[in-house]
Amino acid sequence: MPASDQNNPEIWQDELQHVGFVRRLLMARKWYGADWWFVAISAVMVLGFIFVALFPDLIAPYGPDEIVGTSFLAPGAYPVVPVLLVRTDSTAQALMDLAVPENAERPAIGVIMGGPTATALREHAQEIDEQLTSGKTGLRLRPRIERYASLEELLNDVSSGKLQAGVVDLHEFEKLASRYPQLRTGDSITGETAAAGGFLMGTNEIGQDVFSRLIWGTRVAILVGFTSSILSLLAGLPLGLMAGYLGGTFDRLLSLVMDSLYAFPGLILAIAVTAVLGPSMYNVILAIAVLYVPTYYRIVRGQTLAVKEEVYIEAARSIGATRREILWRYIYPNVIPSVAIIFSVNVADAILTGAGLSFLGLGMPPTIADWGIDLARGQRFIQTAWWLITYPGLAIMLVVLAFTMMGEGLMEIYNPKLRER
Amino acid sequence: MKPISFILLILGVPLALMLLYVFLKGSMGLRKYILTRIALTLPMVFILASLVFFIMRVLPGDPVRSALGPRGTAEQAEHMRQALGLDKPLLVQYGIFLKDMVTFNFGNSMVGGHRPIIDEMSERFPATLELIIPSSIVALVIGIWGGTWAAARRKTIVDYSLRLYSVIIYSLPIFWFGLMLQLLFGIRFKLLPVAGRIDPVIRTTLQPVTNLYMIDSILSGNWPALASALSHLVLPTITLGLVLSGVFVRITRINVIETLQADYIAAARARGIRERVVVYGHALKNAMIPVITLIGLQVAILLAGAVLTETIFNWPGMGGYLVQRISARDYTAVQSVIAMFALLVALISLLVDLIYSLLDPRVRY
Repeated sequence: MPASDQNNPEIWQDELQHVGFVRRLLMARKWYGADWWFVAISAVMVLGFIFVALFPDLIAPYGPDEIVGTSFLAPGAYPVVPVLLVRTDSTAQALMDLAVPENAERPAIGVIMGGPTATALREHAQEIDEQLTSGKTGLRLRPRIERYASLEELLNDVSSGKLQAGVVDLHEFEKLASRYPQLRTGDSITGETAAAGGFLMGTNEIGQDVFSRLIWGTRVAILVGFTSSILSLLAGLPLGLMAGYLGGTFDRLLSLVMDSLYAFPGLILAIAVTAVLGPSMYNVILAIAVLYVPTYYRIVRGQTLAVKEEVYIEAARSIGATRREILWRYIYPNVIPSVAIIFSVNVADAILTGAGLSFLGLGMPPTIADWGIDLARGQRFIQTAWWLITYPGLAIMLVVLAFTMMGEGLMEIYNPKLRER
Repeated sequence: MKPISFILLILGVPLALMLLYVFLKGSMGLRKYILTRIALTLPMVFILASLVFFIMRVLPGDPVRSALGPRGTAEQAEHMRQALGLDKPLLVQYGIFLKDMVTFNFGNSMVGGHRPIIDEMSERFPATLELIIPSSIVALVIGIWGGTWAAARRKTIVDYSLRLYSVIIYSLPIFWFGLMLQLLFGIRFKLLPVAGRIDPVIRTTLQPVTNLYMIDSILSGNWPALASALSHLVLPTITLGLVLSGVFVRITRINVIETLQADYIAAARARGIRERVVVYGHALKNAMIPVITLIGLQVAILLAGAVLTETIFNWPGMGGYLVQRISARDYTAVQSVIAMFALLVALISLLVDLIYSLLDPRVRY
């Protein structure tokens, strides 16, 4: 083994003991060579997610519950926009302009057989016709609908004047538009205009934008993760300090309870608690917070036990410091760094558990934009719509990954010896 | 004989044999250690069962009302309360609950067919075992092999990729991973079934003995049933096994690295022993002791993962049962299932500790 500083664990680990937490972070590059970027990347990711959670409306194109398009639109696919297609010399702009007096010849309009454009034309022509009749305008819109098998035949017939107009999908037409300079498009007959480029991650079964729901879901994930972790920290830290410092029966009893809780699968207890409490975000936060108290308790108690025997504690006691002073001024600051590291990993765990709960349909009320709920909803359409289950899961994974990586990186930098869990 | 008795036999016989071995061959210190360990296991089950009992009763929400639904009359509710013993004082109920847990008398289901819960669990529990045992094997093989490999090639591309693998796997929501596998192998390539334990038609030809379909089909020589059970097992096992393997890779890697820095490893290398033998023979063998203990602590991840895996793959195990009973508001069943899980956690960690104490000579004095 080469005897340089970087590769000899004893020397740099020893040096690490003599600098503060912040300086350890700054010096990490020196000790670890390549590992500092681990923390840097994850910190950027974490900050990014927090930003998204704070300002979802800046990023999400639509609201979480807004119905913005046709259902089950694949990512990037254009929604069908049925537009009126006429010759350039025609004056018609909308479907309404094709209405003619009662006894005149009915206009011929071409559509593609059996497609969504045909349905749109039938429905809207009827709607307009009803408006016209009830408005007593003397005009009617009862087109002769000509059905075509291919778009090109239709376009040829419109340009040759055999049809007054056609109703086609805007994007389909745009592909062929250069070959038909004598044709132009009118308005969309449904009044809908296409989102540019379609929807990034498609739409779900009721036509909500998956991407927007994903962005809004970040808020729930971050909120659940942070609040529940802070709550368990607030309970676990004082309990661990007291148990570690006081020892005795109190410590033994509390440790027994905490260890039992720690060994038990948290998700299963959370399932029981949320099932009794009923679905609400606060109940989820509470249930998860209870589960992770032992995590903090164990780490704080362990640190306290280790620090308790140090000479400076002895010195503090000999100059007459009270128990409270020793706990808060001498022991507490030594415990905080490892708690900060655990916190990061804990937020990741809490997000994962929260998503698991709402996936099972136990956590959040079903109206909220949450990744777990979106996944559970998408699961029913797994045969047809892969995008519904792919993206929410990816989002959960990325958030959890960011927090876990940050915790891991910090842990290695702060204390290379403390690496398990 | 009920299937659950067979299961208890399968778990209990090795446990009993090991205990016997410890007490016949073991030293005084080891015996004392094991006794303390058993004495510590019991309070754990007790604490968890009590915790669930009080959660179910102290938290707002009335199980009887929700079991009866909006059309239940006050009279019916009163009747049900009496039948379930819910009209008694809390402490009396607690006493009855503890007595029932000790005698494995979990009572009847509150809703549906009012079947005894023990019967329902004896059908469900084997399914869970059939899922978690192969998954643990997959996770152990990948974890120990991968972790050792990463440790042997420290700070190379192998090490970095395996570390990345373990971090990514740790962040993977298991329910999503299962769905992705379903999407890929079940729906895109149509290679494997995505739901259930066995083909329902083949199921009728199988005589249930242990309700572990693999063992049942081998015992009766029913090979199509074995093939069907195996093909249904592949995706759930990969899901649970891979998700668990991330932690195992991490734990093994760290411990092997630590062991590789020991003096006797340097000595072995100095004697010219091949690196493979040093890593897999000397280092891994000694690293296994802490690895086994730490892996034993992951039972919680295993069981929580099993609950989610069972839900996704429609696997008729304890986890699926728990979720189903919760949506039916059947609190008697829920608290029994959780008590059963607590027992399972305690038994597995006891087993792990026994193995540990047998492997590590330092525990024996």
